[in-house]
Amino acid sequence: MTRSENFTKMKVTMQFDPNKNCPYASGTTAFGDVVLSSRARLARNLEGFPFVNSASTGDCEEVEALLSPACHDGDEVSLEWVDLHTLSDIERTMCAERHLISTNFASAKHPRGVMVGPELARSVMINEEDHLRIQSIVPGLNLVKAHGDVKAIDHRMEDLVAYAFDDRLGFLTACPTNVGTGARFSVMMHLPALRITKSFRQLQNACEGMSIAIRGYHGEGSKTIADLYQLSNQITLGFNEDDLRKMLENEFLPTVIESEREARMTIVQQFASKLDDRVFRAQGILQTARLLPLDEAMDCLGRIRLGVCLERITDIDINTINQLFIEVQRGHLEWRFGNDLTETKLQEFRANLVKEKFAS
Amino acid sequence: MITCDLCGKNAVYHDTRISNGVTKTVNLCEEHARKAGVDIGPHGISISLDPEMLGFGLSPTIQSCPDCGMTLAIYKENSLLGCPECYVTFEKQLLPVIASLQEKHTQHVGRSPRSANAAIDRHIAIRRLLSDLERAVTQEAYEEAAHIRDTLRELHKNEGNDAV
Repeated sequence: MTRSENFTKMKVTMQFDPNKNCPYASGTTAFGDVVLSSRARLARNLEGFPFVNSASTGDCEEVEALLSPACHDGDEVSLEWVDLHTLSDIERTMCAERHLISTNFASAKHPRGVMVGPELARSVMINEEDHLRIQSIVPGLNLVKAHGDVKAIDHRMEDLVAYAFDDRLGFLTACPTNVGTGARFSVMMHLPALRITKSFRQLQNACEGMSIAIRGYHGEGSKTIADLYQLSNQITLGFNEDDLRKMLENEFLPTVIESEREARMTIVQQFASKLDDRVFRAQGILQTARLLPLDEAMDCLGRIRLGVCLERITDIDINTINQLFIEVQRGHLEWRFGNDLTETKLQEFRANLVKEKFAS
Repeated sequence: MITCDLCGKNAVYHDTRISNGVTKTVNLCEEHARKAGVDIGPHGISISLDPEMLGFGLSPTIQSCPDCGMTLAIYKENSLLGCPECYVTFEKQLLPVIASLQEKHTQHVGRSPRSANAAIDRHIAIRRLLSDLERAVTQEAYEEAAHIRDTLRELHKNEGNDAV
């Protein structure tokens, strides 16, 4: 009997609850006005196995079987196994919308799974581009916490398997962009004022100079939406994990946060009427629209978020906006209102949901 | 008709490898075979290069990973390597790529897996210290250089003790 045959896959009911486990609940955190969430990710592969893109079905199943004992409850690294094949399309989409898994991973067909921790903050993708993609997302600016989470899971995995490692190149990954530490630290930031004051080019130049990648809401190749950006370390080799994290969190981000805050103050002082027009026009749309396309909803939420941060709007909680960035996505709407919705119905439910949230 | 793995055109180059009981076959059209560095003859005549099947010492002119069959042509298509051994097989070609992607860095200085031999950690520490020593000397920071040299001596001493 192979290890694969011994391995019984479990179906775990995903406890999606935006009110309890929103990765963007940054409202009470120190830099929550600018930073929605922090993410740490480690890429790892098993020694003696081809990388996933060259692996057979049997290889993938074997990798799953070797790693599955990492799932147990009741200690620091509490993880549950979710076989993606047993989830519905909607649930897989929701996982991707919460950045628990990548979009490609959600729709792939090969044997794969995801281990999830309590509150859906920690996850381990098994057989994504690399055998393991260990990640933790925490609200606000707290890369230290996210890093601690992934290190604890990494140590758990190391007790089970031998990693592909080279003393010169470090942890070996399918794509050389991740080789070395395999560590990627990123933050989701809301930077409307830098764009409005036309300071964004300066930020992009600063990112290039510091080897920081700046990407859209959905990561690599995605478009900018609601002035939400992911900033992450570009290189993974030549520095240890702590140094990579500190370069982003301690050396680079404070300047970006300060610049965004200063730009917001400039807007309040010099363009108050324009700001109010943008903010309250967006609020008007969300409170009265009968049909709400996703891009318009996200754009309006971004504008209202700026108004909340600058206290132009005082009766909406910032976490309500942060949660809605996720809840207005297609998967979350279908989970709440039923699948196979037409685009018109989807827009109608989205408009109703936003109105309901604002009213409460 | 056997088609090219990369573009679907008629394949003129076929390479079959059997490694650890796994058969990997690469089929390439004339254009992609030439790009991969294969000598396909003056008139585009198909040549099957399969040393294991031919068995008379004909060495292939295309480089592929002995573990997974990955070729550089395939790597260039999707930027993904096939297995850890690819880093050894294509070391010469990959190091400049890695240096370019990683801002000229080609040396890991982070932690190693806990299961790895402690010697790897020491080896990495020594390499890092040597790099620091070079920088300190260049900057004429001789006091710092002396500290680094002492640490290096200590590490080498421990290495000797472990060997005994």
